[in-house]
Amino acid sequence: MAAVNLNTVRATVEGRLATELALAPPVPVVFHNQPYTPTPGSSWVQCLVSFGGNNYLTMGGTTGSSNSVIGVVVCNIYTAKGNGPGANYTIGKRIRDLYNRVIVSGVHFDPPTGPEVVAAPSPEGYFQTQVRMTFETFEDL
Amino acid sequence: MAFYRGQQGSVKFDDAGTTAATILSTRSWSLSVEKESLDTTALGATYRANIGGLISGSGTVELMYTATSADETNAFIEMANSANDEGAALFELYLDTAGTKKITFDGVITSAEYGATVGELETITINFVTNGAITLDI
Repeated sequence: MAAVNLNTVRATVEGRLATELALAPPVPVVFHNQPYTPTPGSSWVQCLVSFGGNNYLTMGGTTGSSNSVIGVVVCNIYTAKGNGPGANYTIGKRIRDLYNRVIVSGVHFDPPTGPEVVAAPSPEGYFQTQVRMTFETFEDL
Repeated sequence: MAFYRGQQGSVKFDDAGTTAATILSTRSWSLSVEKESLDTTALGATYRANIGGLISGSGTVELMYTATSADETNAFIEMANSANDEGAALFELYLDTAGTKKITFDGVITSAEYGATVGELETITINFVTNGAITLDI
């Protein structure tokens, strides 16, 4: 047992999404701190994985103890403006189904929130929704 | 002055009463030591008098379910359902990670509450009473 490897958790989250969105119909996906210039009018997804609160789970010191590591996945879904929400929600469903109550590689995903329509899309020129889900993993020291 | 936080505690247990092993995934423990009081007030006295009587203890350990097997943690969570318990199980309740501040006694596990709640980690609550002397090395 060892301290949690944050990049392993991140890879679990991101790899799952990258694999799904590579399937037909493929949708480009971009992650934290990656440059991306979207094609105007195209569909694409931005996936942001962040770690938040950590909590004591069990008694013990730096060995023989466990912590809870909480994180959140935020997926911004961009589709063409002026064509209604259908295409956007189709992608949203794919993402939602991908994580909904799933336990994979020790990462427990909670039920997703969204897709929620973002009133002021960023970047502009797209119809944007957001799917968010918290996750929890356990660190055994 | 030294202060301690709850996570520095731990619980050790041995159902055979010899060498205690750490109970895994313990969240909390508590022990109440109680002494009976015997009224020795004399007739005509203005103030009530008491002397100490028998001492006993009872407490609780809460741990998370981890599906562990063939170890003392498994014995600990299943002992409430065992027959012919002679009260020889060894309990060691620690207040520090160094393992020098502890409360030791033999005891009987009187109940175990197993629970699962949606969205929460599964926990087991063990209740016990002491059997015989309670040694406080605190």
